[in-house]
Amino acid sequence: MDLQLFTLVLLDAVSYAALVFLVAVGLSLIFGVMRVLNVAHGAFYAIGAYTTATFVIWLEGQGASPWLSFPLLLLSAVIVGLVLGPLVEFGLLRRIYEKEEILQLLVTFALFMILEDVQKLVWGVRSYFADTPLQLLGSVEVAGVFYTRYQAMLLPAVAIIVLVGLRFFLRRTLPGKILTVVTEDREMAMALGINAQRVFLLTFTLGTMLAALGGALAAPTSSVSTGIAGEMIVLSFAVAASAGLGQIEGAALTALLIGFGRSLAVYMAPELDAVVPYLIMTAILLFRPQGMFGLPQARRV
Amino acid sequence: MLKRTLFIVMALCLLVVPTSFAQDEPEPVRIAVFTFTSGPAASYGMPGRNAAELLFEQINEEGGLGGIPVEIVFVDEGQGGEAVVTEYRRLASEGVDIMIAALSSGNCLAIAPIAEELEVLTLMWNCDTHQVFEGNEYEYVYRTNSNTIPEFVSGALYLLDQQPDVETVAIINPDYAFGRDAAEIFKATLAVINPEIEVVVELFPQLGAGDYSTEISRLSASRPDAIFSNLWGGDLNTFVSQAEARGLFEQSQMVLALGTSSAENLGDTLPEGVIVGALGNGWFLTPEVQSNPEAVAFIDAYVERYEEYPSFPAFKMTQTIQSLELAVDTAMESNGGTFPTKEEIAAALDGATIETFAGTLQMREDGDGQTDQVWGVTVASDEYDFKVMDQIIRFPADLVSAPPGEPAIEWVSTLSPDILEMIPEPVSMME
Amino acid sequence: MIRKIALAVIAILLCIGLFVFPWMKAVLTVALAKGIVVLGIMLLLRAGQVSLGHGMFVAVSAYAVAFGNEWLGTNEMLLQIPFAVVVSGVVGLVIGLFVARYRYIFFAMLNLAFSMVFFSFLQKSYRLTGGSDGVSVQTPTIAGLSLEAGTYNWVLFFLALALCVGCVLLAFRFFRSAMGQALSALKTNEVRVAYIGISPWRTMVVIYTLSAMLAGLGGSLLAYTTGHVTPELSYWTRSGEYVFIAILGGTTGILGPFMGAMVFEFIRTYASAWLTNAWQLTLGTILLVIILFAQSGIWGLFAPPPPKAKTPEEKRYDVPAAAGD
Repeated sequence: MDLQLFTLVLLDAVSYAALVFLVAVGLSLIFGVMRVLNVAHGAFYAIGAYTTATFVIWLEGQGASPWLSFPLLLLSAVIVGLVLGPLVEFGLLRRIYEKEEILQLLVTFALFMILEDVQKLVWGVRSYFADTPLQLLGSVEVAGVFYTRYQAMLLPAVAIIVLVGLRFFLRRTLPGKILTVVTEDREMAMALGINAQRVFLLTFTLGTMLAALGGALAAPTSSVSTGIAGEMIVLSFAVAASAGLGQIEGAALTALLIGFGRSLAVYMAPELDAVVPYLIMTAILLFRPQGMFGLPQARRV
Repeated sequence: MLKRTLFIVMALCLLVVPTSFAQDEPEPVRIAVFTFTSGPAASYGMPGRNAAELLFEQINEEGGLGGIPVEIVFVDEGQGGEAVVTEYRRLASEGVDIMIAALSSGNCLAIAPIAEELEVLTLMWNCDTHQVFEGNEYEYVYRTNSNTIPEFVSGALYLLDQQPDVETVAIINPDYAFGRDAAEIFKATLAVINPEIEVVVELFPQLGAGDYSTEISRLSASRPDAIFSNLWGGDLNTFVSQAEARGLFEQSQMVLALGTSSAENLGDTLPEGVIVGALGNGWFLTPEVQSNPEAVAFIDAYVERYEEYPSFPAFKMTQTIQSLELAVDTAMESNGGTFPTKEEIAAALDGATIETFAGTLQMREDGDGQTDQVWGVTVASDEYDFKVMDQIIRFPADLVSAPPGEPAIEWVSTLSPDILEMIPEPVSMME
Repeated sequence: MIRKIALAVIAILLCIGLFVFPWMKAVLTVALAKGIVVLGIMLLLRAGQVSLGHGMFVAVSAYAVAFGNEWLGTNEMLLQIPFAVVVSGVVGLVIGLFVARYRYIFFAMLNLAFSMVFFSFLQKSYRLTGGSDGVSVQTPTIAGLSLEAGTYNWVLFFLALALCVGCVLLAFRFFRSAMGQALSALKTNEVRVAYIGISPWRTMVVIYTLSAMLAGLGGSLLAYTTGHVTPELSYWTRSGEYVFIAILGGTTGILGPFMGAMVFEFIRTYASAWLTNAWQLTLGTILLVIILFAQSGIWGLFAPPPPKAKTPEEKRYDVPAAAGD
């Protein structure tokens, strides 16, 4: 592979991985702390995207400075996270922590189905296109090919900020440390007097916000339409599971790996592009069921 | 106990409700219209839906189809192929008389054998794949529309007419029958006219992919002289916007076969100088349309109601409905005035010549239709806030269509390079 | 008593409906076919495992039916169905050898991964599988007879019904057998099962293969009923639907899957006809209500009340923290 090709593949992979990482890391975090595999996570991504598209299109209509669309991206993610996160955790999930894993999974699946239709009822079935932020930043030439600054620079930057921020939060701040403790050993944490319910609420809201942020950042680069939730959730499953559920840095690396594999496929063997992420996932899970970076978990007896 | 009884009652209601609804016997002619009303494809599917709504309303105001009021039901193709097939079977067994189905080539291929099996008159209003009639003989299936052969042969000819120096070409089409067929035909036509032309990349992203970033990098890196695409609907909007942001339009001559259907959606994002087509003759700014008062009245009514100009899917729908009207009238003239059976309507469609809003639709003996093909180059306009076509060439249907029954791709390879000399001169609507 | 009367009333209503409104049989045939698939899901659920990838086996067998003509050289349904079941059984066995080691979320995920690989493969191999357009299923001959459309649909319906009855009877016997009994033991405590000399791995491989064959049988019927197969059959939401139906119907009774599938299909058909954008909402809400308030599913409404549920305290003792493998 020559250098130009490598550079191009890498750039494509990075911008793709950045988005998938944001969604997958939220999923992973929620599973790590709450042991719930949240299928509805994809719906939060979609709702984040729809909300952003609505805001950006509204902004265009107002004739305000288009640069305001950047704070709007962040704002929509925060709003979606703060509204939906507590609502779902408090109203629904809290009732099922005692139930079997399978039922928990199905509750989130039911929620996913409900939210699919809620999106259609709120935003209709047409697709939205809100590329103002993408156009504003212009493009940059790399190895003879133009990339949008938004995809080549902003998306990876946000992903890195989130990664570093999460690391800092989990290792250096008190709520973060508590969260880590609950991830490591829930029973012990509760025995120590940690209020698990508050930790769950915090985690779920944070996870929802990250999914919505992924959606918000994806909105300017692609069309927002029905069905994006279902696709994103399997992709982020693939990333989170291959990394090992609960692994933050691992999710970043796996997202890159899957992104790289997919981009490479588009250049070398376009027929394989859609298969690659799942092939990677299957291969990893077959050899390391706990994921690349997951610690082997003793089987429950 | 109460809860349980309640559940049982609910379960019973579930079974009774459908039966009670099904009892009101329909008197009107029931027509089901299949199109995309959800997902990325909806931006292409809605004009078809709107045109059907508008035209059937007008027909009902004037007394109906052959004097009988029409009742239409819309089916969303966005639910996916399998659901569409199930829905088709359900509607057929519930007594829907005529199906106007479908938009997507994939769905048409799935529906055609079922239509024949259930003996339901089915008019394919939009799908173009030549595979439908290739090697199949159908009694109840008609396509009131042209097929992929003339559509993409004409596209390749237009490109070579405008840019004779093209040496390298790239293709990015959606991954299903329509996209795959188009790539084959386009390549075959190029090969006939100039065997030196090299196809450097062929990409087939999934329908509804939503993001083409990596594909655009790949296209851009291979620096082709021209890029051909028959992406459509929301996919096309996304692709054009991403490609425009990354300078692909400056690098290569873009050929967007369904470009006119997205022109209004894209507005300023669609650059000038892009070769665009209309998969037939359904472009509202041609001399033929503008000189037809009925067509102009339709366009005005459409614009007033839906606040956008009817793009070519709307015209494809109108020509289907006009074919149906004509066939019903013809059949009633010969049978003494009673509403015709499906066999009588079918017989009237065979070989019919229909004057539509956009030109002439010629029905052939194999059930397929044939229209002229309109291509042009985008240009900004003072009158419209989106790009319109200039340098319009209207390819006569006979020049670019494969004769009935002939294997399509083989026919393309029998074309002679002289065909470029037979193309009419471009006309401009800008003066 | 009320339960029995209600069951009888439903059965009678269905029969009447079927003869008065012949189009109902398409919906019912699909429901029966899905019921068979879900019976396979239930096998795994009894052992405490949930597969988010059984759509793959449905798809494998549906494509085997669609290509039956080419591969098998015959258009005879009575040969094509066993062929399709064997194909999905073999695929199930091979994949089962890998996934039988995994439990819970890992089991679900690995199944999901396999089915998505298959889904993408079907979708991208346009030359081989027709890509996302799918493949049409030719109307087969049945016992050498080519039937006309109306009769064919009736025969298909009764064939599905007969196969359902057969599967239910077999399932009854299986659940009474030693291996069937081992399933619930496997769910509660795997190590203890191993101590009494039953290999959990081998048990899992066997029931996984069986469930794949059931999914295959259902898949072949689905292929004939719709007359067209697409990669969607293998998409993860489809697999989720089967688990959904299992919970909806209830996992305690063998008739649960069929009642679940019936309710599911009716809601899907009519909610999507009248509440275009709300059928998932309706189904999702029903699923939530079932899980939160009526855990034994629809079957639980008719079956005798289950033994008193465990309190959370008791349940906790069932799950000791960790132990060696």
